[in-house]
Amino acid sequence: MLEVRGLRAGYGRINVLWDVSLQFPTGELTAIVGPNGAGKTTLFRALMGLVPHQGEILLDGRPIRGRTWDLLEAGVVMVPEGRMVFKDMSVAENLALGAYPQRCRQARARNLERVYALFPRLKERHRQLAGSLSGGEAQMVAMGRGMMSEPRILLIDEPSLGLAPVIVKEVFGIIRRLKAEGVTIGLIEQNTHIALSVADRMHLMRSGKVLLSQDAGSVDLDRLHDLYLARESGQVQA
Amino acid sequence: MMRNLPAAALLVAALAIPLVFGGNGYIMGLMVSGLIVAGVALAWALLGNLGGMVSFGHAAFFGVGAYTSAILSAKAGLPVPLSLLAGALGAALCSLVMLPALRLSGPYFALAILAYAHIFKILATELSSITGGSAGFQRFPTLPTIAGIDFSSRTGSYALLVVMVALCALVYRAVKRSHVGTALRAMAESEDATRVVGVNATLLKSWMLLLSAFITGLFGAMNAHIINFLEPDYAFSGNWSVLPIIAAIFGGYRTILGPVAGAVLIYLFDQIIAKELLPVGHQILLGLLLAGMILVAPNGLFGLFQTRRKGAPHAAA
Repeated sequence: MLEVRGLRAGYGRINVLWDVSLQFPTGELTAIVGPNGAGKTTLFRALMGLVPHQGEILLDGRPIRGRTWDLLEAGVVMVPEGRMVFKDMSVAENLALGAYPQRCRQARARNLERVYALFPRLKERHRQLAGSLSGGEAQMVAMGRGMMSEPRILLIDEPSLGLAPVIVKEVFGIIRRLKAEGVTIGLIEQNTHIALSVADRMHLMRSGKVLLSQDAGSVDLDRLHDLYLARESGQVQA
Repeated sequence: MMRNLPAAALLVAALAIPLVFGGNGYIMGLMVSGLIVAGVALAWALLGNLGGMVSFGHAAFFGVGAYTSAILSAKAGLPVPLSLLAGALGAALCSLVMLPALRLSGPYFALAILAYAHIFKILATELSSITGGSAGFQRFPTLPTIAGIDFSSRTGSYALLVVMVALCALVYRAVKRSHVGTALRAMAESEDATRVVGVNATLLKSWMLLLSAFITGLFGAMNAHIINFLEPDYAFSGNWSVLPIIAAIFGGYRTILGPVAGAVLIYLFDQIIAKELLPVGHQILLGLLLAGMILVAPNGLFGLFQTRRKGAPHAAA
């Protein structure tokens, strides 16, 4: 289980996260929803050691040192917002970079087969430059790259961003399969409905705070919408 | 087969030259110096191509390698093969001082390393009790004779340098093809994205700087024992920074063999043709040659081979 306690993070003098505490229970899919600027991406980036932060990050109860490569060696992997594929490199090279952590180099060939089985389109296009792919294919490369890092915990940041509904469905089909394989998943999503369709638990973030945490099965949608759209402002403390 | 064509052509040329010009001391001397520049150009291109850093300070590594090896062989009695290695290590050690500058990028790094190179020239001049100061340093051993091969002869030095350049090119290729090479290439595109996949960018860049300094120091050391005389103005001359850059860009700094071929061609052109035409200020012709090359083939001489090869799979697909 991955857990954050009292996480504060920001950019320069501007603070974005205010004492965020939440958990990503093992084997579950934890969704984080919320409007733009809520601090969702900053939360993931702070978790990965990409943004300076204060507070505790615990993996299976033990604090982990927050350098990105240490987290990857520990099995915490992120599929970043906007995919961040290497446009001038081939699909195969992009995937190979996922196996950069020491821990994943041995099983690289086996993991590659697994990724190609999950995304047959990537196998067809393995020599093509990633910059020439469609948005959906680039998302597949980003997710495949994440899988090459043998994630115990996979943090996926807005996989539906800019994708056609059909492709979004396909991407979420893959997320479901990963979950069925036992990967613990953290998912940031603006599309609340699709997020709830795969999540076990859901947290709503706004203005750098977690305002609502509920089991996905028993979400109070009215309350969620009110908070999402800031109609219920009492919850937000300055 | 096509892939290895440039390498095969260079190897044939390397073997043919002593057979044709072996008796011509002048040409062999030029070839030896050209190969020294080739080694430095290779090291410079490794840092530029893989590490993404433009260095104007390789003269520092060259001079430190030269002085370290000369002093250790003369004053500590170290056998020359070991002192060469010590020279290379000494240069790598000096590059450690540069590590804070790796946080700088682009022109800022270039300026920092330019200033840095001068520190060592000043040190070599001022520490005259060890280095002989500006009067120069001499009376240190030449390259030895091993297994009946006299490496201090022109042909012997030439053979040694061909082997060393080839070895360094193979090391370069191994790094380029490893997961480190892939990560470095990715870094050139987006450092943020490489951090996401767990690449320690600063660490990898540091290794490239160390390796580049090591190779440059090695060639500086070999050159010292071939020339057998050192003075700060020569060993730390800006030429050792500038010629390799011209050579690497002329030959194609994104290729491995480009800088090697470029160095030999540029050096021969400078010494045989440019000096004849313009005894004073002949380097200006190198500038013109480079400008012309950039206009005709922006990726350099060997870049021409590469772009054509890269285009093929796309055309086929």
